[in-house]
Amino acid sequence: MLAPILVMDTLVHDAATRAFADLARDWLSIDSGRDGLLAAVEQLGFADALPSPDDRDAWPAAAAIIRAQARSATPIDMALLLATGDRAGSISQSRAYDCARSAAAPDSPAALAALSLGRCLQISAAMQAALELSLQYVQDRKQFGQPLAKFQVIQHGLALAAEEVAASGAISDLALACAVRDGVQTARMSALLDAAAVVVGQSVDVVYDICHQVHGAIGFTQEYPLHRHSIDFLRWRDHLQLLRGGELRCAERLGDAAFELGSVWRAVTALMQPRVSRD
Amino acid sequence: MERVGIEGVNRVRFSFPIFEFPPQAEALRSEVRGFIAEELAAGLWQPSGDFASSYSATFSQRIGARGWLGMTWPRRYGGHDRSMLERLVVTEELLAASAPVAAHWIADRQSGPLLLRYGSEAQREEFLPQIARGESFFSIGMSEPDSGSDLASVRSRAAKVAGGWSITGRKVWTTFAHLNHFAIVLVRTGEGGASRHAGLSQFIVDLKAADVEVRPIVNMAGQREFNEVVFDGTFIADARLVGEPGNGWQQVTSELAFERSGPERYLSSIRLVESALACAREQPTPRLREAIGRMAAKLIALRTMSIAVAAQLQSGVTPDFEAALIKDLGNAFEREQIAVFRALGAELPMCSDDYLSALASSTINSPSWTLRGGTREVLRGLVARGLGLR
Repeated sequence: MLAPILVMDTLVHDAATRAFADLARDWLSIDSGRDGLLAAVEQLGFADALPSPDDRDAWPAAAAIIRAQARSATPIDMALLLATGDRAGSISQSRAYDCARSAAAPDSPAALAALSLGRCLQISAAMQAALELSLQYVQDRKQFGQPLAKFQVIQHGLALAAEEVAASGAISDLALACAVRDGVQTARMSALLDAAAVVVGQSVDVVYDICHQVHGAIGFTQEYPLHRHSIDFLRWRDHLQLLRGGELRCAERLGDAAFELGSVWRAVTALMQPRVSRD
Repeated sequence: MERVGIEGVNRVRFSFPIFEFPPQAEALRSEVRGFIAEELAAGLWQPSGDFASSYSATFSQRIGARGWLGMTWPRRYGGHDRSMLERLVVTEELLAASAPVAAHWIADRQSGPLLLRYGSEAQREEFLPQIARGESFFSIGMSEPDSGSDLASVRSRAAKVAGGWSITGRKVWTTFAHLNHFAIVLVRTGEGGASRHAGLSQFIVDLKAADVEVRPIVNMAGQREFNEVVFDGTFIADARLVGEPGNGWQQVTSELAFERSGPERYLSSIRLVESALACAREQPTPRLREAIGRMAAKLIALRTMSIAVAAQLQSGVTPDFEAALIKDLGNAFEREQIAVFRALGAELPMCSDDYLSALASSTINSPSWTLRGGTREVLRGLVARGLGLR
């Protein structure tokens, strides 16, 4: 019987959501806030942002937690902390979006790969959360005497957004599966992360556009939670692009792999399969 | 596709678990590549067109002789008991090489699986071995002059007569009906009543029969692929009814996950990308490297999703929404390639004939990509249904 090598189990997902909800509560109730959070993160086995590159068993759990956190829209920017592993600097509580170009970038290639992967997973999860909020909103909100969801143009717009979310989720999961299998320090991992950065980067544009459009003006306010997700995925995308040198560079490196093998198809099949023979 | 309730919020997630090809599937990939290289070296065909237009009965027979048709079917029906992932290896390699697969494509992809699932024992024994040998080719008989996307509105009708059925009506866009042996047609055998989906049935029609008329419809690329198939009191024996009378809608929709999720939905213009790469192999410019790399990235995402659907089909799940989603995304990607490569212009100083012919063929055929197998609008409607919006 065929078994997937990676599947986001619903139970893992729920458990991760609960774990982070508890963490968030604890953090808010402790005066020493951030230290408490760090201790809790440490207890969970994520002392340094993401699992150690070679601890393959820890990766699926970490991914589930990263995703759950990115979707939960808690007031704590735990993901930033988790992903940057920034234990000395202050946690930014600001929700302002600033196209920051000074975000932390780790020096080790392994950490760079792990961090890129974490960003891809986070962005995918935040896009999923924005999509879900939009699905709920169009069913609740009525205009012209009926829920927005009844309009075909709304349905098709959200279908497009869902397609992008699915593509980003799939390629991020593929990169995660690669990390689980062979660790993060492989040439294949690096290429898959370049591919994920290209796909995820474009998906953000579509999802950002459509999810806000169906919300109308309320989605553009501080009081409504959509901005939590959109500012998250925008900021995380900036950081991802910064880590990888930008989408164009990512695409160029992938193009080089194709030119090296003399075929796009050969490059794609080789990158997607470990131990593939270079025939 | 799963619906998950967390903290009172109804969440919908499409399901694309990650699968890896087993080692035997990768060994098979080398075998297929070797076969293609031999065929090309022998000059048996030139890479051309896309999967739906390049027709060669003798090629299909050679594929059948290799055991690459009916791969997932049981041996007792001429199949090879292999997995959906192994089948995917063969189909994607043939498509990536722009091999002439059109003759056997429909029979292998959906007619055979349909008969395996709903056909009578006698139908399986009669048709499946022929299909697996590459000797029997099928057309799809769904659309009609007044029924396209709204398939349940078909008006072709079969009336019960002694020993069989009498069919009257017309099917259109019946690709290669003039070359293929059979079509599986969806017709009305009873009233729909409250549900428009009731009262439909599927029949295997012999396209060579004297009382079946096949008329050409030339497409805008100047090629004869489409046909109109006319039934005027055509007699169909009882033994050619597929499944239960009135169950046609359920049967026809079961074909669609096979029809929509495969690599033919994102590899239609792969020859354009590969030929552009070949033109600039000596000195690729940064723009070309970027364009090629962007295509590679999207191919990886689409292929990951397509593999997930193939694997789910293997375990008996029919992920209809995921299949529709892949096709829409894949078709958009195919279209994007044309625009990207056309714009490269002088970045490809050594334009080959192969590249120019791929560009022309992709451009002129691209409208059909987002129509066949379900229009973009139908697919997005399905995805929206999956999201709980309809």
